[in-house]
Amino acid sequence: MAERDVLETDVLVVGGGPAGLAAAIRFKDLLDAHNAKNGGSKLEASVMVVEKAAEFGAHNLSGAVLDPVSLQELCPDFDAKNAPVSTRVTGDRVYFLTENRSFRLPIVPPPLQNHGNRIISLNQLVKWLAGEAEKRGIDLLAGFPGAEVLYEGDRVVGVRTGDKGIDKHGNKKGNFEAGVDVRAKITILAEGARGSLTKSLVPRLGLDKGRHPQVYSIGIKELWEVPKGTLPRGEVIHTAGFPLEEDTFGGGFIYGFTDTLVSIGLVVGLDYKDPLLDPHGLFQRMKQHPLVKPLLEKGTMVRYGARTIGEGGWYSIPRPYADGVMLIGEAAGYLNPARLKGVHLALKTGMQAAETALEALIADDTSAAKLKAFDDRVRSSYVKDELWKTRNFHAAFKNGLWFALPQLGLQEITGGHGLEDPLEPSAGYAEMQTLARYWGGGLGKDSFERPKADGKLTFDRLTDVYNSGTKHDEDQPAHLHVADPNICETRCKEEFGNPCERFCPAAVYEMVPKGDDPKQERLQINFSNCVHCKTCDVMDPYQIITWVTPEGGGGPRYDDL
Amino acid sequence: MKIIVCVKQVPDTETRIRINPEGNGIVDQDVNWVVSPYDEFAIEEALRIKEAKGGEVVLVSLGPDRAQTALRNGLAMGADSAVHLKDAAFDAADTMGVAKALAAAIKGIGGADLVLTGQQGVGGDHSQVPGLLAGLLDLPQVTMAIKIELGEGKATVTREIEGASEVWETALPAVISAQKGLNEPRYASLKGIMAAKKKAIDVKDAAALGLAAADLAPLTTVASLELPPARPAVRMIDGDPETQARELLRLLHEEAKVI
Repeated sequence: MAERDVLETDVLVVGGGPAGLAAAIRFKDLLDAHNAKNGGSKLEASVMVVEKAAEFGAHNLSGAVLDPVSLQELCPDFDAKNAPVSTRVTGDRVYFLTENRSFRLPIVPPPLQNHGNRIISLNQLVKWLAGEAEKRGIDLLAGFPGAEVLYEGDRVVGVRTGDKGIDKHGNKKGNFEAGVDVRAKITILAEGARGSLTKSLVPRLGLDKGRHPQVYSIGIKELWEVPKGTLPRGEVIHTAGFPLEEDTFGGGFIYGFTDTLVSIGLVVGLDYKDPLLDPHGLFQRMKQHPLVKPLLEKGTMVRYGARTIGEGGWYSIPRPYADGVMLIGEAAGYLNPARLKGVHLALKTGMQAAETALEALIADDTSAAKLKAFDDRVRSSYVKDELWKTRNFHAAFKNGLWFALPQLGLQEITGGHGLEDPLEPSAGYAEMQTLARYWGGGLGKDSFERPKADGKLTFDRLTDVYNSGTKHDEDQPAHLHVADPNICETRCKEEFGNPCERFCPAAVYEMVPKGDDPKQERLQINFSNCVHCKTCDVMDPYQIITWVTPEGGGGPRYDDL
Repeated sequence: MKIIVCVKQVPDTETRIRINPEGNGIVDQDVNWVVSPYDEFAIEEALRIKEAKGGEVVLVSLGPDRAQTALRNGLAMGADSAVHLKDAAFDAADTMGVAKALAAAIKGIGGADLVLTGQQGVGGDHSQVPGLLAGLLDLPQVTMAIKIELGEGKATVTREIEGASEVWETALPAVISAQKGLNEPRYASLKGIMAAKKKAIDVKDAAALGLAAADLAPLTTVASLELPPARPAVRMIDGDPETQARELLRLLHEEAKVI
């Protein structure tokens, strides 16, 4: 076997989303400013960003309403530079939906007031940020997933990128290309929610000690092309209630992204109780609601995507630094669940990590003690301010929407304290109840029947996956590892009715007949459908599914999402 | 040995193509542009020959600014240098215009011991440029190559034909076009990508190639472009195996009328 290549860089950013690119851009700007001031003692430092998608932005998906506060700090002239954030919010509406009716809230709850914000496509914004990074001469490497963290003792010294050219049996193909060891003085993990490296690093280094478990939601989104005049550009609609039962966290969003493009989606808490719940199916039902249907029925669905969201808030954020490493953006959990916003915090924490990284390199000290300055920056900025006020937001929903509402009101008045502080959430998957417990006896997985999609307003999973542009080389090992497929065939089928078939928004998991006995089923993993949302890794009730990075370049290809 | 590889940037085969309002081209927006897969075989073959025999690999591509990405990909795979033919005058060129520009560029860099191309550009699928290029350069040509062996001043080329293959021998220099099966293209390595950033791309316009507007005037134009008809939905046949078989037989006979 050929020697594995080793590359050295000063700062390595893993994940080229808003957090990672903000970190790289800020670092380069500060470095240039530092060197301009200190003509005599210039600091030579390189920054590199590795990204698993084939191109920057292709895996980024969000609602999204952007609070431009941190973009302003990163690129003060972002409007002049044509950042794709030109749709200003012009109206806010919040509805409570029942199956056939809608009730508009007379006032918009303060966290949902979006005056001054912009409706964006995150994937467009990330492409623009990548262009800004490129102009600064930052090394951007798309198609290279971080597959493994490199340690020396407990110090992080870089990341190994994924191998390429391995066939489905695990053998090297003729074009095998070994992953590269990228060694860095400082590694910044910016993988987004449920990052696969972050997931293994946090417990290994004990960074979650004394913190709450992270809780997640799944966000499912479609982009619709509609006739002009259907929904005003800049209009923001949020919904609660239908199609979710009151015991399920979540809600819908409908944004007038442009004159002819509507962004619509549903967020479902991945701490739901009903094992038969089907987030993708619920999203289809949402579109049939009398409030929503008229907005779409003359249009065409053009894009689809899904992604998990880290909703736990302040108490769920691990210690975001250790020797040689920092965690930023949603990889760490910097997201405000009450405002439904994380992009501005991703940008901000990226910038704060960059400021810390430069200081550390100048001092030639990248130890945890030095990188603690990152956490200090977070705590003395608006990142903590807003996350502190909403620290018990998600946990308030533990007993359902009706119990949550008065608590949220009280939290609003008491600066986030509410009745009890901290309210401890459970790990989401543990909330899922068995079929027997939730539905009583007699119900099995066959009792669940999804309404047929009409192909115009409602879609099946495969049609939606097609519209996500997802593609993986089929001749590679599955990147979804199931530790014990026996459990799927026996215990899980009996106890939970194989919920993976329903919670996966991309039809990756399928129980298929095993041999001749129609009662026997085995798990088939259609990994090439995977949109990299990580829901399975989060919600599997036995925690036996592990999402690892597939061959670089595989995955969805989001445009305008 | 100097090998020139002609590279075309084309829409990713996964792209959902939209026809432009004029009905004679596709909408460029939201298209993911890649190196034409057949050209990747050509690049890979050139690199393998260089690795075995020494020499240099020069890429030539004609296209707008974005074509530089395709050239960078080839440079990242290991090519030594690249020439980018860019001029608004090329926009209207048909395959003959493209071949003239490529031929002029190849002559301009002093010719080559071997010119490799893909056997067709994915998208347009004309398969015309390799032949036109050989004609314009007055070089022998072998198409659909699935194996190339180089000898002294000659090459032995196995080419794919319907249901079989045939072996040709050609004098060098020659234009050889690559078919699927020639090789398995390598991935651009991380180091290769870093190194490619430092390699220069030589940009040439029509004037630099000695071409006037009249040389590039298209001999053919696209009259109209249509998407293929939507495929009808799959029909599932219910019932036990015997009923299914009978129904399938009936459908094939009565509806599809194939048996």
